[in-house]
Amino acid sequence: MSAFYDLLRQFIIGLADEGIIHYTFLYEFVVNGFLCALVIGPLLGGIGTMVVIKRMAFFSQAVGNAALTGVAIGVIIGESYTAPYMSMFSFCILFALFLNFSKNRTKMSSDTLIGVFLSISLAIGATALLWVSARVNTHILDTIMFGSILTVNDTDMNVLLVTTVITALVALPLYNQMLLASLNPSLAHVRGINVHLLEYVFVLLVTILTVACVKIVGAVLVEALLLIPAAASRNLNRSIRGFVLWSVIFSTASCLIGIYAPMRWDLPIPSGGAIILTAAIIFVVTMLIRMALPQYREASI
Amino acid sequence: MQGPSIEFEDVNLTLGNTRILQDINFAIRAGDIHCIIGANGGGKTSLIRSMLGQMPHSGKITINWHESRVVGYVPQLLEFDKTLPVTVLDFMGMTCQNRPIFLGVARSRRSQIDEVLDRVGMIGKSKTKLGSLSGGERQRVLFAQALIPEPALLVLDEPMTGLDVHGREILERAIVEFTDAGGTAIWINHDIAQVNEIANTLTYIDREVLLDGAPRQVLASGAAARLFPTLELLDTKTSEAN
Repeated sequence: MSAFYDLLRQFIIGLADEGIIHYTFLYEFVVNGFLCALVIGPLLGGIGTMVVIKRMAFFSQAVGNAALTGVAIGVIIGESYTAPYMSMFSFCILFALFLNFSKNRTKMSSDTLIGVFLSISLAIGATALLWVSARVNTHILDTIMFGSILTVNDTDMNVLLVTTVITALVALPLYNQMLLASLNPSLAHVRGINVHLLEYVFVLLVTILTVACVKIVGAVLVEALLLIPAAASRNLNRSIRGFVLWSVIFSTASCLIGIYAPMRWDLPIPSGGAIILTAAIIFVVTMLIRMALPQYREASI
Repeated sequence: MQGPSIEFEDVNLTLGNTRILQDINFAIRAGDIHCIIGANGGGKTSLIRSMLGQMPHSGKITINWHESRVVGYVPQLLEFDKTLPVTVLDFMGMTCQNRPIFLGVARSRRSQIDEVLDRVGMIGKSKTKLGSLSGGERQRVLFAQALIPEPALLVLDEPMTGLDVHGREILERAIVEFTDAGGTAIWINHDIAQVNEIANTLTYIDREVLLDGAPRQVLASGAAARLFPTLELLDTKTSEAN
């Protein structure tokens, strides 16, 4: 895989060298960031539509917080503290499965239960990290919450790529079934859909893609990218096609602009913050359009 | 295409501490329109959901299938977020195709979808958002989805709720055509006049089976006379509430 990345990087750096694209692309870390953005944008934008429909907005945040505990466990068992993927994946998957199991048992609404688990995971994660902090660089907390898209390496890119392929292979054929199961579980069941199994599958997908993106863009940003582009797209669209398409476009554009703009115009803001701010601006614009145009007028209460 | 016959034997259902169904015994013949009637909260929906395998019931429900095992199900009025960006066509597509619906409706399905939407008079609204439809229009779309793929058994949970006269006629005709062609329909229905007119058999359920048989015989019985004033009262209340 590394050879493929090298080839891609050399090609882009070559373009920058010849002045075809901006000179910031002469730096390998910028190119890496862009390549990740090109994968993360469509991935989170696409899955985000389902997250919004299923009202699981804070789920990825809870998983992101659980990743803190995963890192702490990784440090304790001796994994590299910059990329403790085994511990993060294992712990977060167990956490997500337990959350969904509790949801099925208690029959509570997703937002209540996710809220409960979100606080618990943050408390446990912060405590565990503090406990092992003597052994690690304290910046690790920042890295997990806010990520660092400009320091990604080939391992991070491999993890991201594998996760993306798994997500696409699973989510695309099951998209309609998941949608129907969230609209009317009873009807979905009659049509031969295993509603409970699908719920677990979706929770696992969001978990693995959150963990894969945590090192790169951070837990807070994963959540933002799952939500804001989908919410912005929902402001303007009436059909599922437009909803998904524009969510992917908004998410990818936010990532690319967020990385490029600060470097191009020398702005003193980190790439993570710039990505969210771009998405936020898009959201506000879509909201204004919705308020201004008569075709979006609906009942006031 | 031939629909199944169905037998309910000693069906019981308890949820929490509440007994919902008690010793339910009756049978539905293949090719019949069988209406389930009864007061609100009497366990009608729970009974058909037990039949569909969605309730932890005890007892035996046997569906004697012939060549096809396809069930068309029209659930009670779909309650969902009205702002959801899903059009009528999206909804129809998501119920009957594997290709992700955001990539569009598969060409092989499109003519089938158009045909059933046309049958329920909703072809002109295929691009309308599901949330913008009136209750009756949504009910017609729900009915339309139950026709793809062609079912052997139609399970209808109050499909007429919110429908105007025209809509009722369309659905009534479609159900009669379906059973004339050999299909079996089990239909929760509050409208005694309609049941009397088109049902082959009916079962009155209020936790247990109170009446069962052909409408003419059952409605002439003394037990029916005691039950129906309540039902008529209930119908008036429902229409006032609407």
